[in-house]
Amino acid sequence: MNNNLVEMKNIKKNFGKVQALRGVDFNIGRREIVGLLGDNGAGKSTLIKILVGYEKADEGEIYFEGKKVFFNSPKEAREMGIETVYQDLALVNLLPIWRNFFLGRELVKGAFLSIDEMKKITYEYLKEIGIFIRSPEETVFFLSGGERQAIAIARAMYFGAKLLILDEPTAALSVGETKKVLEHVMRVKEKGVSVIFITHNIYHVYEVADRLVILEKGVKVGDFKKEDVTPQEIMGMIARAAGVIV
Amino acid sequence: MEVKSIGSFKELSKIFKIKEMGAIIGFVVIFIVFSILSPEFISWGNLLSTFTMAAELGIVAIGITMLMISGEFDLSVGSTFAVVPMVLALSINNKINPFLGFIFGIFLGAFIGYLNGIVTLKTEIPSFITTLGSMMFLRGILLAITGGFPIMLQEDIPFLKYFGGVCIGGLRYSGIWFIILAIIFAFILERTKFGNWTFATGGNLLASKALGINTNKVKLMNFIICSFMAGLAGITTFARFKIIDPTLGQGMELEAIASAVIGGTFLSGGYGSIIGTFLGAFMIGMVRSGLVLAGAPAYWYRAFIGIVLIIAAIINTKIRKKTAG
Ligand SMILES: Nc1ncnc2c1ncn2[C@@H]1O[C@H](COP(=O)(O)OP(=O)(O)OP(=O)(O)O)[C@@H](O)[C@H]1O
Ligand SMILES: [Mg+2]
Repeated sequence: MNNNLVEMKNIKKNFGKVQALRGVDFNIGRREIVGLLGDNGAGKSTLIKILVGYEKADEGEIYFEGKKVFFNSPKEAREMGIETVYQDLALVNLLPIWRNFFLGRELVKGAFLSIDEMKKITYEYLKEIGIFIRSPEETVFFLSGGERQAIAIARAMYFGAKLLILDEPTAALSVGETKKVLEHVMRVKEKGVSVIFITHNIYHVYEVADRLVILEKGVKVGDFKKEDVTPQEIMGMIARAAGVIV
Repeated sequence: MEVKSIGSFKELSKIFKIKEMGAIIGFVVIFIVFSILSPEFISWGNLLSTFTMAAELGIVAIGITMLMISGEFDLSVGSTFAVVPMVLALSINNKINPFLGFIFGIFLGAFIGYLNGIVTLKTEIPSFITTLGSMMFLRGILLAITGGFPIMLQEDIPFLKYFGGVCIGGLRYSGIWFIILAIIFAFILERTKFGNWTFATGGNLLASKALGINTNKVKLMNFIICSFMAGLAGITTFARFKIIDPTLGQGMELEAIASAVIGGTFLSGGYGSIIGTFLGAFMIGMVRSGLVLAGAPAYWYRAFIGIVLIIAAIINTKIRKKTAG
């Protein structure tokens, strides 16, 4: 049991009258990629926001590496090695790549930023893991959606994440870019990191996932090893839970 | 040969990508126009007095630039600009130690910023509204206390020389302060963590929060910096005239914001430059003295600033499409 990296137990969360989570158990093993699926409003984002301390659960417990934890803010979770890449919240578009890469964890010498060092590390680390950029000084605004996701993932890896949470990383991407992001996710796993991959689209995550968890209206309605289930079955389950007859 | 010309074109486009390019172009154009209109414009005496005027506005504008980059606004700087030296003047006239009065005034300036920030951040009212309120509130207090009459300094206070007195030739100490503060804040903005967080907070608030930046603290600090600078600038003006009118600084908030915008700072936050603001404030000073020297009635000043502002904003928008989107 303590082989799991994260265990969330009986998590409940209400927003006023909305029961966003109604007692969800959710585990992530070590070096495991878990696809977290469900229709709009199922509670996926809320579940991970509770995990990283962005929201507080009304009830329930969280264990990280076997120890009971309680994060007051995403910063605390980050310090423990839990990195989150939000779809639109990952990067500051008006800033250059290097400033984004080190944002919140800047390298300094005395009071001043070590600008050249940060530029160099950004460029070289991205190159090392197969992300090619023209220059670390390039403004993020000019990058494609896939490049932005890749940089946010790379940043999490560089800072030693043990768990990487990706909230709909492929939602706005072309087929080619999605493929690239999936390659990065696989590489993250090779480095020994666990991944939670949130998506609507089973086909985006099926290829890379070890396990698939389905939420519906705040309840966990499925938890499968990939070998035990086909993408079509998952699709059917999401649709049925949402009240669509298939 | 051809390769070389492509190379130099690249160099050239790199230069045009500098954030402050719009301000630099505007600065040069205005400088040339007024030099042609009136030869006296380029005399040392005039340039230095122009710079002094620019300095008093510019110190306010530096503070507002920091705050605007962090994504907030301060309309109360004009009132703070009058309240702080008024506190100093009243202290001196009531025989309180002038140095104590000075410390108290500066502290009050910072405290106004603290209150603006706390109210804005706790209640989540837009800072445009909270500082509009504090602008009117402070001005009202000022008028009520003085009965609408100016207050004259009754004593000669030697240390005030170092704020508004003459340094060398036509250059006053306020000009020196302006240069020093511009350099300090340019460094803070571009080369410290706090500066980095200021950009990030204004550029993408939620992303900054998600990365663990205490965005409220960053904004609060910038509110304090902004009011502190407005108060300090007010003291430089007071030190020059030795008299304070309770209407001092009215309309200054808009000129300070104009300086920042001319210098390339976004109204929407996340982008801007202290050097740009420096040039923007200097430009507004040049327009003011240039029009006087060219013999134009004083009324033209506002109209001209309006045009400069719009042209600068257009140039900046074009440039930022190339640099920042
Ligand atoms: N801050 C909030 N205040 C009020 N209600 C909220 C809040 N956050 C989420 N909810 C509600 O909780 C429920 C679950 O939302 P959540 O964002 O977790 O869904 P999701 O599975 O991530 O959906 P999507 O696929 O659309 O992102 C929804 O009904 C949503 O409206
Ligand atoms: Mg969601």
